[in-house]
Amino acid sequence: MTAWLVRRVAAAIAIVWAVVTVTFVLLHLAPGTPFLPAAETPVDPAVLQRLRSQFGLDRPLPEQYARYLREIARGNLGESFALHRPVADALAEALPNTLTLAGAALCIEFVLGLALGVYQAARARRLGDLALGNATLFLYSVPTFWMGLLLLLVFGQWLRWFPVGGVVDVVTHESLPWAGRVADRLWHLALPAGTLGLVGAAGTARFERAAMLEVLGQDYIRTARAKGLPERRVVLGHALRNALLPFVTLFGLAFPFLLTGAVLVETVFAWPGMGRLAAEAIFRRDYPVVTAAAMLAGGMVVLGSLLADLLYAAADPRIRTGDG
Amino acid sequence: MRAPHAVRTSPSATVRLAVLGVLLLVACARREGCTGDYCGTLVIATAGEPQSLLPPLLTAAVDQAVSDQLFLRLADIGRSTNTVGDEDFQPQLAERWEWADSVTLVFHLDPRARWQDGRAVTATDVAFSFDAYNDPAVNSPFRAGVRAISAVTARDSLTAVFRFRKRYPEMFFDAVFHLRVLPAHLLRPIPRDQWSSAAFGRKPVGDGPYRFVSWKAGEQLELAADSTFFLGRPHLRRVIWRFTPDLQVAVTQLVADQADAIEVLGPPDNVKRVRAVPQLTLYPYRGATYGYLGFNLAANGDSSRPHPLFGDRELRRALVMAVDRERLLQNVWGDAAKVPPGPEPQLWWIWDPETRVLPHDTAQASRLLTRLGWRPSDHDGVRERRGNRLAFRIMVPTTSAIRRQYARLLQEQYRAIGAEVELDEVEPSVFLQRASAGRFDALIAAWNADPTPASSIAQTWTREGVGRSNYLRYLNPAFDGLVERASSGKGGRAATQRAWRQAIELLNQDAPAVFLYASENVAAVHRRVADVTIRPDSWLALLRTWRIPAERLIDRDRVER
Repeated sequence: MTAWLVRRVAAAIAIVWAVVTVTFVLLHLAPGTPFLPAAETPVDPAVLQRLRSQFGLDRPLPEQYARYLREIARGNLGESFALHRPVADALAEALPNTLTLAGAALCIEFVLGLALGVYQAARARRLGDLALGNATLFLYSVPTFWMGLLLLLVFGQWLRWFPVGGVVDVVTHESLPWAGRVADRLWHLALPAGTLGLVGAAGTARFERAAMLEVLGQDYIRTARAKGLPERRVVLGHALRNALLPFVTLFGLAFPFLLTGAVLVETVFAWPGMGRLAAEAIFRRDYPVVTAAAMLAGGMVVLGSLLADLLYAAADPRIRTGDG
Repeated sequence: MRAPHAVRTSPSATVRLAVLGVLLLVACARREGCTGDYCGTLVIATAGEPQSLLPPLLTAAVDQAVSDQLFLRLADIGRSTNTVGDEDFQPQLAERWEWADSVTLVFHLDPRARWQDGRAVTATDVAFSFDAYNDPAVNSPFRAGVRAISAVTARDSLTAVFRFRKRYPEMFFDAVFHLRVLPAHLLRPIPRDQWSSAAFGRKPVGDGPYRFVSWKAGEQLELAADSTFFLGRPHLRRVIWRFTPDLQVAVTQLVADQADAIEVLGPPDNVKRVRAVPQLTLYPYRGATYGYLGFNLAANGDSSRPHPLFGDRELRRALVMAVDRERLLQNVWGDAAKVPPGPEPQLWWIWDPETRVLPHDTAQASRLLTRLGWRPSDHDGVRERRGNRLAFRIMVPTTSAIRRQYARLLQEQYRAIGAEVELDEVEPSVFLQRASAGRFDALIAAWNADPTPASSIAQTWTREGVGRSNYLRYLNPAFDGLVERASSGKGGRAATQRAWRQAIELLNQDAPAVFLYASENVAAVHRRVADVTIRPDSWLALLRTWRIPAERLIDRDRVER
């Protein structure tokens, strides 16, 4: 187990390094240039040249790369070209927002997806299963940003039940007691997390339904039924426990999905997270922010995957002993 | 088994109850609020976010809008937006000024002016600011704007003396417009090459009507009224900018009543959307932007050779005459823009509808092309000459729906005269990079201009701008001479306007571009806000006079921070 863990951690570090390298090289080779103004106003090339020199962009690419790796090794992610502040500060502000969003979405996805999947499997090929199957298929095929716009229009703009953007109410938040602040945050979280969570839950439900149906066809389930156990206990007590095993791998898959989905959802809901930060940095050619965001996202995906493997190993003895 | 007497709630009722609970919790938590004439909170939705609030490093419109509330100039442009001479300028930090001689301008500072940390604003601050704007280590984009000033000195604590290298009509404008005065006592200890990342840029101390409160990256920036402001206490107590990723999200926040104001609504669809919202009032004002289809006069990617098509002046004239600009404008903008008489935004005082332009005349354009040897081919109707097709590509940025729409319509209009056009839609950074490097045939560009034509036209249409912002490599010494004459302002305002008209007519005859639109800006502000006056060059310049009458205050106006 220890050797396996060491191998996985080493592979994880190599993957993150590869992500950084590929991002760095592609960014610098891609067309476009940093420091250009957002609006089209005349720019003095001398100002641009001084900025390029200040940030070392006039040096050969291998030299820039070596310097970047050296700085990363020292824990310095550099200074943003566009934000005029250290990249680490910008990421430190954005990351909690993205993790909050992704965490809330993950909860919705797994709880709702699991409940729907089990319900459908227990009533397989009946009306409820068919209706939910079609509904989840529809939700699964809906692009995340479209779902976001739909929820925003209906619940934000028409019904006005939820705010249409932001993390908190910019006017009242600071004046609220702690309970009010928590409620304010949850209120603002509802639509973006709901968007990501609903789309994810649709996929999870379909996955869980299939897993449950496979388990419900096993001999030991037939034995449990033959012993006269109530159906609820057969499904929730015996089948679900075993159907949860492949569900663990979904965790590793869901995390990258949430991070990529978050880019669009953060834009639609003006949510100041990592996705929005990275997307804006890409358009501005803010190389240090893009590279650091890619490194962090890569790290989180690898970590999520590693965690899923560990959970899987903990749940299935065959993995631990190498019998599988 | 379901319990017979179980209480059932529908999902929508549950949601409503939950939302109601949250609202009650929030509402109960509110304290007794502000009342009276000096309450009021204005939430401004804006696409984008400032990069820095340090005045020499301002770049985007939102940076300048925030900075206008924090830092004062010596004097400000008046409502006429006239930039020639000093008659129309309004005192700010300087209570008065006089000309010691033709190149020496003396400002007398208002002794009541204070930095928000309590220190007096002095002439030393003014001299320090000029030095900082001029310092290559600071790398200010406004450095070019103050290059005609040779020195600024402090005669005494309240007298600043500006010396110019030469005499010209916009000397006063250059002295006051680009230069926002900085607190020397706070900035002097910071090495100039570290100003761009200095904490001051994210937490500034100013001398304006509002003081800085907070800035949460990606979320919001808040200012609070300085009740001791020496030119008069601002009526609105809090001003909050909500940052959004793009204009559509900003407009949605406005429509959903989560913001009170927006600077520019942009395309006509947005104006229509907001017009239907009862709580909002629209404020049209002259825009600073004009857009054009420009022809690269140098070969694509090789500025040493003329472009195989657009190097020919007569061909360019035919292509200009082939475009029905009015029809395009109606299709894209409706009534929200005008066809400009040249490279001019509506903002400029030199706007002159009588300026001669090449007429729209497709028959004449076709005849001219035929005379030049471009004849329709038999198989697809595209004109050819000596085996070369009359074909070119138009580059547009993907982010501009307006320009993409123009590009498609132009493609159709050119097809009608036998020219084949393909579109290159590229992202903005690539667009600007390729435009600067001359790697395009034609492009649809837009300039967001200064309030003054002199520097803008020189930078974008004369030899001075070649290799910089004169993307088209348009070079005509006669035009440069006319621009110089117009910029010199000799003979007074009427003569200057005539000189500008002559210069622009020459440019129109040379046809380096088809000037497509000069937009009118439309701002939207919540109906409860009274005395809204918008100065076209800077929409929030007069913000401190906006107010919300006590009887119109709503919940968010009363919230105590």
